[in-house]
Order: sequence, then C-alpha cells, then structure tokens
Amino acid sequence: MSSFTRSDLTDLFRAFAMRMAADRALLGELDGEIGDADHGVAMADGFEAAARALAEAEDADQTLGDGFTLAAQVLLNKVGATTGPLYSSALLRAAKTFGTERQISFDRLPEMISAMFEGIETRGHGKPGDKTMLDAWWPAAHVVTHDDTDATDTVTRLRNAAQAAAKGAEDTRAMMASRGRAARLGPRSIGHLDPGAVSAAALLEVLADWATRHEGAS
Amino acid sequence: MGARGRTRDAAAPSDKRPPTRFGEDTLLWAAWLYYEEGLTQAEIATRMGVSRPSVNAYLADARTRDIVSIEIDPARFRALTLAQAMQDHFGLNDCLVIPSEGNDSPLIDRLGAAAAQLLGRLTKSGETISVTWGRTMLAMATRVSNGALRDVRVVQATGSTTAKIPWTPEACATRLAENLGARCIPLSAPAIVSAPQVRDMLLREPVLAEQMAVLAQADRIVFGVSSLRPESTIHTSGFFDAVSIRDHYHAAVGSIAGRMISATGARVDGPLEERTIGMDLDTIRKVPERLAVAGGMDKVQAILAALRGGYVTALVTDADTARAILNSEGYEDRPMRGPERPTEALPERTRVKKFLNRPRDAVDEAIAGALLAHEDRLVAVDGVPRAIRARQAPRPGKVGLVIGGGSGHEPGFLGYVGQGMADAVAVGNVFAAPPPDPILAATIAADGGAGVLHIFGNFSGDLMNFEMAAEMAEAKGIPVRTVVTTDDIASAPLDARSARRGVAGNVFVFKIAGAACNRMLSLDRCADLASRAAERCMTMGVALEPGASIDTGRPSFSLGPDAMEIGVGVHGEPGVTRTEVKSADETADLIVDRILDEIDLANGTEVALLVNSLGSTPQMELYILNRRLRRRLHAHDISVHVTLLGHYYTSLDMVGVSVTLMQLDPELKELLDDPCDSPAWTQI
Repeated sequence: MSSFTRSDLTDLFRAFAMRMAADRALLGELDGEIGDADHGVAMADGFEAAARALAEAEDADQTLGDGFTLAAQVLLNKVGATTGPLYSSALLRAAKTFGTERQISFDRLPEMISAMFEGIETRGHGKPGDKTMLDAWWPAAHVVTHDDTDATDTVTRLRNAAQAAAKGAEDTRAMMASRGRAARLGPRSIGHLDPGAVSAAALLEVLADWATRHEGAS
Repeated sequence: MGARGRTRDAAAPSDKRPPTRFGEDTLLWAAWLYYEEGLTQAEIATRMGVSRPSVNAYLADARTRDIVSIEIDPARFRALTLAQAMQDHFGLNDCLVIPSEGNDSPLIDRLGAAAAQLLGRLTKSGETISVTWGRTMLAMATRVSNGALRDVRVVQATGSTTAKIPWTPEACATRLAENLGARCIPLSAPAIVSAPQVRDMLLREPVLAEQMAVLAQADRIVFGVSSLRPESTIHTSGFFDAVSIRDHYHAAVGSIAGRMISATGARVDGPLEERTIGMDLDTIRKVPERLAVAGGMDKVQAILAALRGGYVTALVTDADTARAILNSEGYEDRPMRGPERPTEALPERTRVKKFLNRPRDAVDEAIAGALLAHEDRLVAVDGVPRAIRARQAPRPGKVGLVIGGGSGHEPGFLGYVGQGMADAVAVGNVFAAPPPDPILAATIAADGGAGVLHIFGNFSGDLMNFEMAAEMAEAKGIPVRTVVTTDDIASAPLDARSARRGVAGNVFVFKIAGAACNRMLSLDRCADLASRAAERCMTMGVALEPGASIDTGRPSFSLGPDAMEIGVGVHGEPGVTRTEVKSADETADLIVDRILDEIDLANGTEVALLVNSLGSTPQMELYILNRRLRRRLHAHDISVHVTLLGHYYTSLDMVGVSVTLMQLDPELKELLDDPCDSPAWTQI
C-alpha cells in the first residue's frame, strides 16, 4: 500500500499549477462569455503561487495539515475574487481532515475531494444547479462518499469522481446562473459552460492522473 | 432521437391543414413557405391545396396585415424559426413556440392556453388521454374545449399528491375531462406510499388494478416537466418531504410524472421509485403521442433532459426557453432573413494594442506609477504592496474610510484616496476583488481609533473578501461597518435592489462618506450617511464596444458591428440587453428614461450628475450626451447641483458611457460640497 506524503502534496500542486497554466486562456475565454474573463488568471496564478510556496516550505518538518493550510493561505492572499476564498476554504477543510498526519495511506485520497467540496459549499452557500464550481465538485464528492460498491481501488474511485465532475461541468451549459457574476445575465447565461465548474473538473482530472502515475511508480 | 424525418414536409398532399406550428394561421403558413422556404407561389398552391391566385392574395394580405414577421411581426417569426429548429434537432412531430413576451398574462397561463388549443385540435374521439399535474397542466385543463368528441377517457397519470396545492393530479384530470366532455378515470391511491409493500398491496386491489389497466392503454400523455429547484412543483407536491434529494437524487435534474431523470434523460433510481404509483418512465415512452408543455428559464435543463431522453413527441414552450435549449445544444440563433439589407461590417477588433510590459506585472507597475504620480497624496502601506493609504491618514479620533475592489477601473479606486475622501484602499487584480490581506492592512492603516468604514461595490468576490477582512479587523479590536453599493439599475429590478451591482455611483458614495468621516462624525453616523447616499444613486451604462483584456489583448465579449450593449457591467461582462446602435440623443434618452422611472421625487429634485467614460469614449461625446441629459432633466424640473464629466470609473478600454444620478437632500448636498483633495477629485 503506497502512501501520500507532504512531498507528494507539493508534487500534486505542481501538477495542478501546470494544468491551470495550460488552461489559463481557455478558462479566461469561458469566463469572458458570461463573466469578466479573470478566472484563468486567478486559477493559474493562484495555484502557481501555492505550488511554489509548498516547494519552498518543504524542508521544514511539516504535517499534511500544515501543507494544506499553507496552500490555503497562499491562494487566499494571492487570488482574491471569489476563487480565493472558496479554494482557500476547501483546502482548509482538507487540512482539518488530514490533521497532524505526516503521511496518509493512499486510499484516503478520495477524502480530499469530499473535504474540499464541503469547504466550498460552506463558504459560498451555493446549491447544485446554480451553475458554479459546485456543480462539478458536488457530483465528484457524491461519487467518493456514496458510490463505493463497484470501485474498490483508489485510482478507479478518483477516476470516477473526475468523470462525474467532467459531466457535471458539461451539464452547466443548460443551467441558468443564480450565483456569482454570471447571475446578472440571467437567461443569457444559458448555453455557456461555467468556467468555475470547468476548472474544478480539470483539477479533479489532474488528481486522478497524478494518482495513476503515483500508483504505477511505487 | 426517434422520429426524425416526420417533420414539416411530412404532411400528405391530402392534408391541407396548416402544420401545427402555424396555429390556424393560413397567412402565416403561406408567408413562411414563400419567404423562408423559398417556394414559388405555384408550389405553395399545391402544398396548401388552394389556387395560385389565392396564394397571391395570402401573400399580399400577409404583407399588408400585421401577421408575419420579416416585414411584420418579428416575435412570431422568431418563434417559427425556433419551432422548426426544435423539431429538426429533437425529431419532434410537432412543436409550438409561443412568444416569450406579449400580453400581460403569466407564461404558465399562456403556455396552458397554447397547449389547450393544440390538444383540443389533436385529440380524436375514442382516445384515452393520460395527464400529469402541476400549474401548467391545470392552466391547460381549464382552457381546453372540444365539444365534438365522443368516447374520450382522461386518466390520471399518477396517484394523488398532497392537497396543499390546487394543481393536484385529480384537479388536472377532472378539469380536463370536463372540458373535453370526456369520462374521468382517477387513480384511487396516493402517488407516493410509505413502503414498497404498500404499493404492491394496493396494486393488487381490483379497483386500482382496473384503473391502472386503463392507464396502460393511453394513446396520448400530456405532461409538464418539473425542475428540481427548491421552488419547483415537485417540492411543493410533497415528494421530497421524507426523502433527501441530496442523498438519493444527486444525478437528477428534473422530473416527469413524479419520476426523476438525469441531464441525459436517463432514469434516476431512488427510494421513491418503488413507492410511486403511476406511470413509470418506460411506460411513458411507450405511449404513442407524448405532449410536453413547459417553459421558463429555470426549467431549461429539465426540459432538455426530457427531450434528450426521448419522452417527448410534441412540445409546447416559449421562445426564450426554446432558444436557451437550442443554445445549450450548440445551436446558433440564426439571424432573421428578411428583406436583404446588407450591412458593411466594420473590421472586428480581434487584438488590441496596449502599453504593457508583462501583462501579469500590469497591476503592480500601475500602482508603482500611481504612487509616484500622486506622491504628495498617496503612500504605500509598509510591506503590503496592494494596500495604499492617504498621506495624512490615520487621524486620531476620525473614522477611517477604506475602499477597494479590482483594478481596471482607474482612476477608481485609488483616485479617491486623500484628504476628505478615503483613508486607504485595497487593490485587487484586474476586475478581481482584493484578498483579505491588503484589505486588513488598509483597515489597520486607516484606523484612527474611532472605527473603520468599508465601502465597495456589490460583487460576490468583494463581499467574501471584505467580510473576511472585517472579521479579522474586529478580532484585532477595530470596529468595522460596511456599506455595499448597488447603484446599477440595469443589473436587477428595483425589488431585487440588493442583487444590483455597485458601479460608478461609488464615486459619489465615497465622497459623501469621506466628508462625513472628515467632519469627525461617529462610525454609525458615517455609515448611515453613506448608506443613504448609496440608496440614492442610480447608474445606467451602455457600451458600443467591449474593452480588451490586458492578459490576452482580446475583446472581452463580442458585439456585432451594428449592436450596442445596454446595462453593461464594469468588468467587461456583457450587459442586460442588446440593441442596434443609437444616436447620442437617443442613447441619452434611453438612459434617462430608465433612471427617471426609478426616481422618487420625495428624495429631492436636486441631483449630482456623473457622465462617465467607460474608458475609450472621449470627452467630446460625453459633452454631447450631457447636453441632452440636462435638457431631459430640466424638462422634469430636476436641477443639477454638481456635474462630473470624464474618466471616473472605467472598465479598461471599453467604449461606452455610464450615467449616474444621486438625489440630494440638504445634508448630502453639504457633504458633497465639502472640500477634498484626492488624485481623481479635488475641490476647494
């Protein structure tokens, strides 16, 4: 059984940051259609800063909780907008979940998804169907908390969660935004993907991919 | 998707009735065939089974009477195009799309009326019709009429629901049967029972078994589509009183006859499935004719799911809903074909030249430059690059005023820091709220021991970050009060004022609050005055061209060569509606009309006026607009005490204007006249 360590956390965030940098323009375009086009910048810069901070702090003898808290603080202070507080709350919840552990067994990784979902839900007061990042996080969290029967190994569970998130993001196309900046557009928001849901699905895909590589390598 | 192909041209030559989507409107049908399908008059004559001179007369009539859209009634034409697209895309036999606006009756009633007409026409003697429940179904049932039918049976598609609502399954079925002169067959059981065993027992009861057997013979089902939003029929019907949607129906987006479906229309199983009495989804799909009646933006996802799942053979909806459904499927709204009016498109801006180094350094470099340009007034807060304070701040015993928001609104926000204005500002990334850190640093820098007032525009990011910063400041013993501006009248109706954006009205609110703080009033008093100023500000913005992102250099949304966006946000986000470009006077009228609609003359007839460039509109045009604005205000006996005109609250390089009016009373007027000295507003 492999484990997930503080240095794995840095590695994971590096992967998050690379993906957000790659998706920067796409997310900006999606956001431009119904918002203000800043989502790509916020996600790319925020995760880059978090990854860098995690790498710099890695020598210190940190717990996973410390790592997630650090990432949360950096995102909060770097990003602003709604993305900052929401992902910061998500990571603080993950920090609480993994607490003082220095490493966890690999099969606890899916807990990170439900913890992050709860953090976002609590901070943003959003509901599924509002056309927000929650529409990707919610189905993903649901998969890992409810749907354990046919997926026993961790990688499959993460993969299923990522797929649920991707589908959830796609489903935002038919939704009318009722929270956030796009809500002012009302009916005109229909027909567009929600950029927050798209970036959330990308993060979850990165997590699944990262876990696949990690499991293969160890 | 089923019956694709049985579309518009499927009518046999002997069937000379207009296809459903034209209603009974022969002229509309003829005009459609001629203008839209390009048939000759002779071909139309064959198709309609009339003589060629008749076709000629129809077309002449259609041109002279207000019936068809191209030259006549756009709403109907739109609806037709949409109905056609819906039919083609989803393989429907029939689709009736009613205009979304029109008369004053609610959408549900109008959908019901349209469905009633259609159902009355489609139903044949000897049919068994199954019907679900809900507002739309009842609206339809009360309006339907056809006295010529014989041996029609109407049967409830499900058992009964809670009696708390008037549109129960029994009510819908009974009323429909009455108005069709049909026999009503109820289902003598609840729609939801407490346990699967109860259902099985009930289904063995001879009475119910007989009723269910009739249901199984349905030739036609008429159903509404419910969303699963908290306000939806399925909730008020009591379906989820004992079952958590969250645990069991997370994949569901809508429901038909009390059965849950996913975004693709697949059945979503849950604990209710085994406890529901009525038609199930598989049985519904086997009914030969399946008419769905539903509309409204909140239902788009649910209706789309029903269409994708193949539950629908005929649909009655409204134009906005149809368009939204098609947009969700990637269909581009076709521009109206009409009398050809070629317009020379202006070359669209795809890339914009800007004075930048690395885009990501833009905000920090702009702040550095601003500090140098205004070094007599502004100072950086030590160690926090995105917090800036006034050189004189803090002043002991004075309430500190902290403002802030995203960059890209220059001279907003740092232009309003200085003597008699804000004490400190927190600056975010372009169009993004600042994080709590700089807001907290600005709060500490502004604190003179009498508390701090936060003022910012109503955006979810600003709310979250300022709220967090205020909590941190309170924890450090600094009392904070917050005033959120909501002056953008285009962004939400008056009864939802708290949902409105805060835009250029900020400028006046900052000034009033700054003067109040400067007079050493208490924190509560300053906050109350700022609130009053905020309530009395009304702003309306119009854009001719979008601004361009500094990150990509591309326009932030696209606006056609002849289009103008009304009610634009200040973050490059699209506005509320779009219209063709108007002249300066027409534009000023459009803005002032909207503002005058909301003016409460009890709040005074003296105003402060801000004619604000959104970035790329020059002063010359602002002056032209101002001339008309003043004339219109004068005609309403509204006098202008102060005019600000120029770049006060921009949206990068958007081409456009916003107009703000603040209604004054003696107290606000005095505060407005107080001296101040800040980079963007100085008066002695």
